[in-house]
Amino acid sequence: MCLAVPGKVESIDEKSSPKMATVNFGGILKDVCIDFLPDIKTGEYIIVHAGYALEKINEEEAENQLQAFIEAEYLIRSRTK
Amino acid sequence: MKFLNEFRDINSIKILMEKFHISGLREMNLMEVCGSQTHAIMKYNIEELLPQEISLVHGPGCPVCVTSSEMIDKALYLAQMEKTILMTFGDMMRVPGSIQNMSALKSRGADIRIIYSPLDAVRTAQKEKDKNVILFAIGFETTAPANASAILAAAKLSLKNFYVLSAQVLIPPAVEYILSSENIRLDGLLAPGHVCSITGYRWCEKISEKYNIPITVTGFEPLDILEGIYITADNVIKNNHIAENQYRRIVKKDGNKNAREIIEKVFSVTGRTWRGLGFIPESGFVLNENYSRFDAEKIFNPVPEINNEDKDCIAGEILQGIKKPNDCPLFGEKCNPLHPVGAPMVSSEGACSAYFRYKRKKQEQKNNG
Repeated sequence: MCLAVPGKVESIDEKSSPKMATVNFGGILKDVCIDFLPDIKTGEYIIVHAGYALEKINEEEAENQLQAFIEAEYLIRSRTK
Repeated sequence: MKFLNEFRDINSIKILMEKFHISGLREMNLMEVCGSQTHAIMKYNIEELLPQEISLVHGPGCPVCVTSSEMIDKALYLAQMEKTILMTFGDMMRVPGSIQNMSALKSRGADIRIIYSPLDAVRTAQKEKDKNVILFAIGFETTAPANASAILAAAKLSLKNFYVLSAQVLIPPAVEYILSSENIRLDGLLAPGHVCSITGYRWCEKISEKYNIPITVTGFEPLDILEGIYITADNVIKNNHIAENQYRRIVKKDGNKNAREIIEKVFSVTGRTWRGLGFIPESGFVLNENYSRFDAEKIFNPVPEINNEDKDCIAGEILQGIKKPNDCPLFGEKCNPLHPVGAPMVSSEGACSAYFRYKRKKQEQKNNG
């Protein structure tokens, strides 16, 4: 039940109530309610649970986390040389 | 898929495993609270990647698993009313009630439908005006805003045929219940990332301080879980009884304020009986008086059957992390995904179904290899 999937906001239906967006999950488009993220914009990434967007994905934090692994890889390789 | 595949990358996982060569590592029990985390641990065989000093204990964070037999019986009662459609998430369908489950009742002709989103129930109520549409609302704080939003939508549409049977439960009281128990000794916790995306993690800081235990807000991909375990183990060794956030790309300290406002508008806190754990005060959500006209319990007064749970089923001990699924005499034999006895075998997040699905595969590979 805690499963939430990342997706990209393709378009927002400004006139809908509750407010809906079309979200792209790796090629599959679904309608998602964005009532909890009133400031979300097209092109941003969100996580979706039970048809609702829970939170925006902080792309910078995601990059930082992944970068930390790349840097660790660099350190380990230089250590073993 | 972006923001998914990168966190499953095998090279990154290998790098993180290097970090686990930390000095002073001692035997410790870490609990992952959320059922989805348990499944990822089983699926990606994470426990076998860890140093042997670290044991993982599976927590009660599976809202399907902890829904009481009594609550299932109430849903079955409602589904048998005339001109009624009961709607719920798919993995609720085979959770055992005292006598039967929803899947069995459906095959006998009851109109019980699976939904993906609580909004589906609102839309059904709009379309089928001559029927009572009842949303069997389960979930933790991750799902509560969605359930609340559906109720607000129904109110805005002035729907007269939409109702909610709330079986919603809250994570922090369950965590405190586990930590107060004398049956299990835990050294650290992985807090559920998506619950915290709504609630924030100040509650983790409070619990960490109260019980002198490190807690790490953790995500659900293998890289997230490994990093969460690493941070927790490191804090255990250093005696840092603090809460940290591993899942920084999603979780903020104060969570999602909009989602919480919607919850507070619709629900109030109530005591709940958790399957396997018993009654925990202030551990669930119920519709507040402003929305009681949608409360299926108040309107229809459903009557549960007499409780009849299999005496050999150890779901309670599994949900508290005291025993593992393969400790159960029924596991894999009398109790399996086709014929589940207890709720953790039914749910896609349950520890028993995870063990059956992923541990048995390993056993077969061993036998064939």
